[in-house]
Amino acid sequence: MSLTHRPSTGFAYLLPAIAFTAVFVLYPLLQLVYFSMTDKSLMGGGGYIGIANYVRAFNDKAFWQALRFTLLYTAFLTPLLMGLGFLLALLTMRNSPLPKLTRGIIFLPVVIGLGSSSLLWFWLFDQQVGLVNRLLVDLHIIAQPLAWFTAVGTGFMAICFSITWKVVGFAMILFVAALQSIGQEMEEAAIIDGASYWQRVWRIFIPLSRRTLLMATLISAIGSMLAFDQFYIMTGGGPRGQTFTTVYFVYQNSFVFFKLGYGAALSIILAAIILAGSTLQVWLSRRSAGS
Amino acid sequence: MSVAVQPSQKRTSFKRLAFNVACILICTVMLAPLLMSLSASLKSPSEANLVPPTYLPSVYSLANYAKVFNYQVGLVTYVWNSLAAAGLSIAMCLMLSVPAGYGLARYNFRFKEAWFLFLVATMMLPFQALLIPLYLMFAKIGLANSHIGLALVHTVIQLPFSIYIMRNSFEGVPKEIEDASYVDGCRSFTSLRRVMLPLVMPGVVTVALFAFINSWNEFLAALIFLNNEKAFTVPILLVSVRTGIQGAVDWGALQAGVMLSVVPCIAIYLLLQRYYVSGLLSGAVK
Amino acid sequence: MKSFTVSNLMKCGLAGAALALFSASAKADDINIWARSSAANAVNHMADLWNTTHKDKIAVTVIPDNQMVTKLATSVTAGDVPDLISFDLIYMPDFMKAGYLIDLTKELSADPNQAKVAKAFRELGTFEGKIYGTGFTPDVSILLYNKGLFKKAGLDPEKPPTTLAELKDDAAKIHALGPDIYGYYFSGNCGGCNIFTVAPMMWGSGAHLLPANGQDKALDGPGVKEVLQTFQDMWKGGMVPASAQADTGANFQATFETGKIGMQGSGGFAIAALKDKHPEIDFGIAYLPGIKAENASSFVGGDVIAVPKGSKHADIAKAFIAWELTDDAQLNGLAKNNILPSRTDLADNQFFKAEPRYVTTAKAVGIGQTPWVFHFNDMVNSDSSPWLQMLQTAIFDGKVDDAIAAARESLKSIASN
Repeated sequence: MSLTHRPSTGFAYLLPAIAFTAVFVLYPLLQLVYFSMTDKSLMGGGGYIGIANYVRAFNDKAFWQALRFTLLYTAFLTPLLMGLGFLLALLTMRNSPLPKLTRGIIFLPVVIGLGSSSLLWFWLFDQQVGLVNRLLVDLHIIAQPLAWFTAVGTGFMAICFSITWKVVGFAMILFVAALQSIGQEMEEAAIIDGASYWQRVWRIFIPLSRRTLLMATLISAIGSMLAFDQFYIMTGGGPRGQTFTTVYFVYQNSFVFFKLGYGAALSIILAAIILAGSTLQVWLSRRSAGS
Repeated sequence: MSVAVQPSQKRTSFKRLAFNVACILICTVMLAPLLMSLSASLKSPSEANLVPPTYLPSVYSLANYAKVFNYQVGLVTYVWNSLAAAGLSIAMCLMLSVPAGYGLARYNFRFKEAWFLFLVATMMLPFQALLIPLYLMFAKIGLANSHIGLALVHTVIQLPFSIYIMRNSFEGVPKEIEDASYVDGCRSFTSLRRVMLPLVMPGVVTVALFAFINSWNEFLAALIFLNNEKAFTVPILLVSVRTGIQGAVDWGALQAGVMLSVVPCIAIYLLLQRYYVSGLLSGAVK
Repeated sequence: MKSFTVSNLMKCGLAGAALALFSASAKADDINIWARSSAANAVNHMADLWNTTHKDKIAVTVIPDNQMVTKLATSVTAGDVPDLISFDLIYMPDFMKAGYLIDLTKELSADPNQAKVAKAFRELGTFEGKIYGTGFTPDVSILLYNKGLFKKAGLDPEKPPTTLAELKDDAAKIHALGPDIYGYYFSGNCGGCNIFTVAPMMWGSGAHLLPANGQDKALDGPGVKEVLQTFQDMWKGGMVPASAQADTGANFQATFETGKIGMQGSGGFAIAALKDKHPEIDFGIAYLPGIKAENASSFVGGDVIAVPKGSKHADIAKAFIAWELTDDAQLNGLAKNNILPSRTDLADNQFFKAEPRYVTTAKAVGIGQTPWVFHFNDMVNSDSSPWLQMLQTAIFDGKVDDAIAAARESLKSIASN
C-alpha cells in the first residue's frame, strides 16, 4: 500500500497544473516585472529605466488616492458581506423546503456575470431611466430622482448594495456548510443547559465556524482589493476621479494611456500589497488559533 | 396544562411566521432586479428609454431581442463562439485541477504546501495586468485570434479556484474507500478514475459551473485576443449593440443583452443545483 | 448518472475544440475592416455597396467605441492586424507618430478626389509631409433646437441664437415655460460629448484649447472663460436639468427626444434619428455660437480610414480607399443613407436637397476645426480627464478660474510626455 502512495506519484499528479501555471502565469508575470523597469508604451518604444516607475508610483497622488479608496472599500464591504452572509446562513441552515428555496434564490445572483450584474444595477440606479429612483419617489422617500453617481457617498452606497446583492450568496453557502457540519449534539446539549439562541450563536456556531469565516474573509478581501468591473461600468471613476480603484487605475495607465511600463509597476505593487495582507491575516489567525 | 403549552406554542408559531415572512421578503428582494430587467427587455425600444421609467411594459415587444439577434453576424454565431471557448475552458480546468486536487489531498511530498500556494497565488494578481504579456506571447506562437487561446486565458483565471475546490473535494472522501480499492488491486490512476472521481462529482460539477460562468461572461480578454467579428463572443456583441454615438445607451438592447447573458447561467445553475451546492457544502469548508 | 456527466463534460470539451478549430479559420478572399460600434451603420452601408460590385469581399468587424484605440494599439504591437481600419480621426496623430500606419502618399496625392476631402481630414491624415489616411464616415457638431418650444416662448423659430449671450437668453425664456421644461442640455459626465459640442464655442471665439506639445499653449485665448461662465449661469439658473450632471453620454440623445429641452449641442447623426423616431418634434439645426456672431464654429469629426502596418491585403485595402472617395461611393453609400460625405464638393447633392437641415450640417463642416494633438485620450476622452474635470469644476462647482488653471497644468504635463 505504501508503494502506491509514493510521494513522487503525488507530485506527478501536480505536474500538469504546475507546468501550465509556469508557462501561462509565471512567465507573463516575469515579463511584467521586466516591463515595470522600462518605459514601454503601447505606442512603441521603451527602454530600461530601472526603478523609476516605482519611484514615480510612490509620488503619484492619484495612485495613493486609488489605493486609499480601494482599502476603504475593502474595509467597509468585507465585514458587511461576512456579517450578512453569516446571518443569512443562520436563517437558512435547516434543510426544510422554504430555507432551501431561500438559499437557492439568494445564491442565484452569484451565477450571473459581474459585468451583467453591474449593468443591471447601472440601469436601476440611473437617474433618468432607473427604477430605484422611481420606486423611492413613489414611496415618498425622496422628492426628486437622485443622481447616484455624481457624489462619492451615494455612488459608493449604490455599488456596495449591488455587490452585496451579487455575492452574499456565496458567503452564505460556505457558512451553511460550516454550520451544518457542527452537528446536532452540541447544539442540543447547549439547549438543555438553558442557552438562548443568540448565546448558542455566539458560543458555539461562530467559534466552530472559525476556519470557514477566516477563509471566506480572506477570499472576499482579496476580491475587493482587485475590484474593477463594477466601478468601470457604474461610476467611470467619477466624480472627479474619486472612485478609481487600484486595478482601474492600472487599467487606465496600461490600456488607455498606453503606459505599459508604469501600469506593470503598479500591478506589481498591488500584488505585493495583497500578498502581504493575506500573509498577515493567515499568520494572525494561526497564532490566535494556537493560543 | 393547556395554559403552560399555549404561550410557547404561540411563540413558536409567531417565530415560524416571522421566519417565513423574512424568507419571502429576502427572496423578493433578490429576485426583483432580474425580473425588472426581464420586464424592461420586453418593452418597445422607445418605452425602454422613457424618462421617467414605467414599471411594466405597456405593450410587449420583442424588438430589443430582434436587434440583438440580428446584429452584425447574428447572435447564433456569437453564442457558438462563446460556447466553444467555455467548453474548452471547462475541459482544461478539469484536466488540470482534478489530478492536482487528488495529488494535494492524498499524497505527501516535499514542499507540498508551497506548491499549493504557487498554484493558488494567481488569485492575488489582477489578471488584467497579465493580459498584454499573454497576448504578445500568443501572437508570437499563433494562438491569438483563436478560441483555444481565449480558453487558455480563461483557464488561467479559473485554475486556482478550481484546484482549491478539487483539493477540498478529495479531502472530503474517507480514506477507507480508497484504501479498499488498493486492497482490491487498483493502481493509483485507476483508483482515481474508477473510484474517486464519481465520489467527488459534486466538486467536479462546481468547477465546471464556475468555469462556464467565468468564460461565458468574460469581456476584456475576449476583446483583446479575438480579431474577427466571426470569432467574437457574446459579451463583445452586447457592448457593441447597446452603445450608440457619443456613448448613448439603448436601454432596451442593454436589458435584452443582460437577459441573454444571464439565462444560460441560471439554466445551468438550476439543472446542476443539487450537485454543486453540495459540492461547495462538502468541499470548501476546510 | 455520474458517469453520464463525466463523459458529457468530455464531449463538451471535444466539441469545443472542434468548434474552435472550425471557427478560427476565415474565407481566403475576405478582407477585414475594423470599425467603431457607433459608426457601424455607416460602415456597413459602404461595405455592402462595395461587395455588390467587387470580387474581393470586405467583412466588417465592430469594436466597441471606447476599446477601439486600445485594441488597435495592442494588435499592431503584436503584429496581428486587420487589412483596413476605421477609427476616430482624433487619434491619427498618435498612430502616425508611432509608425503604425502604411504610407499612402503616392496613391492619395495622385487622387483628384483626395483634394476635395474636408480640410480637417486632410490635416489629421498628414504627418511630417506624408499622408496616412483620409476621411471615411464624417460627422460634425451643430446646435439642435426645438422649434416648437421656441414658438411657445415667443422666440422666432427661424432665428436660433448666434452668440453666447443670446444662447443664455433663449434658454432662460424657454425654461420660463415651466419647471420641467429646460433651455439647454449637455452630458455633464462625458468628456468626448463636450469636446464635440462645447469646445467649438470656445475655439470659434478664438481660443486655442489643447497643446500639441509641452511648449504649446493650453486653454488660451478668448472663449474658454466666457463659455464656462455661460454654462455655469445656465446651470445655476436651473435652465439645465439636474440629470445632466451624471450623464455619461448614456442619455445624450434620449433627453432631447422627450421634447422638453429647448437646445442642445449635437451632431448630424441626430437628424435621421429624430425624423425617424420622433416626427412630432419640430427641430432646427444651427451652428454652435461663440462670443460674437461671426464666431460660429463646429467640431469636424467622424472616422478616418487607414491601412495598418502588417496588413495582409494592402493592395485591396488601398483600392477600397480609392473607391470610397469616388462619387458613386460618397453619394450612394453615404449621402443616400443620410450620412455626410467626406468630400465638401458633394455637400449640395440630390439626396440632401430634400432635407435642408442636412445642407446646414454639411456647411458646418466648412467653418469647423479639429484639434491636432497627441494623447487625446488622456486629455479629453478618458474617465476623469483634465478636460472633463475642468468642465465639472467650473460648471457644477462654480469655480471657473480654478478649473481652468488646474486643467491647463494637467494638459501641459500630458502634452510634454
